[in-house]
Amino acid sequence: MKLSKNFTNPLAANNPVIVQILGICSALAVTVKLEPAFVMGLSVTFVTAFSNLVMSLMRNGVPSRIRIIVQLVVIATLVIVVDQFLRAFMYDVSKQLSVYVGLIITNCIVMGRVEAFALGNKPWDSFVDGVANGLGYAFILVLVAFFRELFGSGTLFGFDVIARFGYVNNSLMLFPPMALIIVGVIIWVHRSINKDLQEK
Amino acid sequence: MAINKNSNAYIIIYTVVMVVIVGALLAFLATSLKDKQAANVLNEKKVSIMKAFGSAEENFDDVVTMGRIVDGAFVEVNKEDKAAVDAMFADLADLKGLTASENEFPIFKYEKDGVTKYVAPMAGKGLWGDIWGYVSLNVVDQKVQISGIVMDHAGETPGLGAEIATEIWQKKFEGKVLYNAEGEFAVRMQKGGAQNDHQVDAITGGTKTCDGVNAMLANSIGKYKSFLDTLTAAVAEDTTSEEQAQEPVAEDVNVEPTKVEEE
Repeated sequence: MKLSKNFTNPLAANNPVIVQILGICSALAVTVKLEPAFVMGLSVTFVTAFSNLVMSLMRNGVPSRIRIIVQLVVIATLVIVVDQFLRAFMYDVSKQLSVYVGLIITNCIVMGRVEAFALGNKPWDSFVDGVANGLGYAFILVLVAFFRELFGSGTLFGFDVIARFGYVNNSLMLFPPMALIIVGVIIWVHRSINKDLQEK
Repeated sequence: MAINKNSNAYIIIYTVVMVVIVGALLAFLATSLKDKQAANVLNEKKVSIMKAFGSAEENFDDVVTMGRIVDGAFVEVNKEDKAAVDAMFADLADLKGLTASENEFPIFKYEKDGVTKYVAPMAGKGLWGDIWGYVSLNVVDQKVQISGIVMDHAGETPGLGAEIATEIWQKKFEGKVLYNAEGEFAVRMQKGGAQNDHQVDAITGGTKTCDGVNAMLANSIGKYKSFLDTLTAAVAEDTTSEEQAQEPVAEDVNVEPTKVEEE
């Protein structure tokens, strides 16, 4: 029961991007095309899941005075692992993501979950929490990238979708401000549905 | 005995152990993936070169001869010599440091159906960061032309400067003649549209990137000028000697422009 709530909460009602407004920087930067957004989402999911798991396993031994440093070391290690693997096996995508893979280290979602959840919960719960938060982030990224790629390039995952019907690409969609606007619209829709999120 | 987790000794030991473990792990990972990563980078360069030659479907290793320009002439690089081959693909940014006096720029040669094309690497600066690419050159009617170009960038503005990396814009460079009648390098991205057979339409909103491309073309291709001159002269000689045999009158017409280009 608790576990399933752990999992579903970050996907919608407490989504890290559109409710907590974390990880916006990369959400704006890597959502021009679906493929990099997808890979970025999976990379962040991997990092949040395993940093949560590792920190939860270590939580009783970590000296509280240096816990932030320990968290950073764990997260940075996982990010380097992801970066190295992308460079070796998904070179094209890694080129498109460029610095943003490295910047997962500074993604507030990762450290936020470690600090807020993993340090006080059991490994399995923490792992699930990490996966769910990563997927919540990935979902928004893919959603934004869907609109940006469709209307900015007329394609989806690189396949021609509407360009063949004479659609003229709207290059405004390719600029970061448009990602911000799309995220804003998603937040708007999300809040209209979940009325309890609206401030009085 | 309970351990005091906030004592300095504990913290220091904890950190040291953690860093050693993490360091070993990452070192192992980096070493084991290094070859694969290097192969990716190299393969990308080879694919770019084949794209510049306009024959992306062919395998680089099968059809391309690698060489260096020594005193204005093409000197083949031994394919077995691994260090020399690696140096051919050295980071293009390093080219910026080379001067004409060092005189040994890498060049790639491709021959098919009697047409010989040469690809030279290029490197320069765009608006936000590095730009680089490969340009393919051949001689048509005793004039050096661009037969294909491939460019990429680190972070030009999407939709504006970044358009230089698209095929649409790169196609516009095809058939552009390098040197004008005065023998000056004349290929450039021109604001307001191409005026002659040297110019390429510039990108609206991407002026600074286009300036960078112009500088990159002039600098990078400029390093190969002595080689290109010998190349045109050789082609001109071939043509003149052939035509002399048939029709001696043609001599004047053919020799004149060549001399101008050699100066």
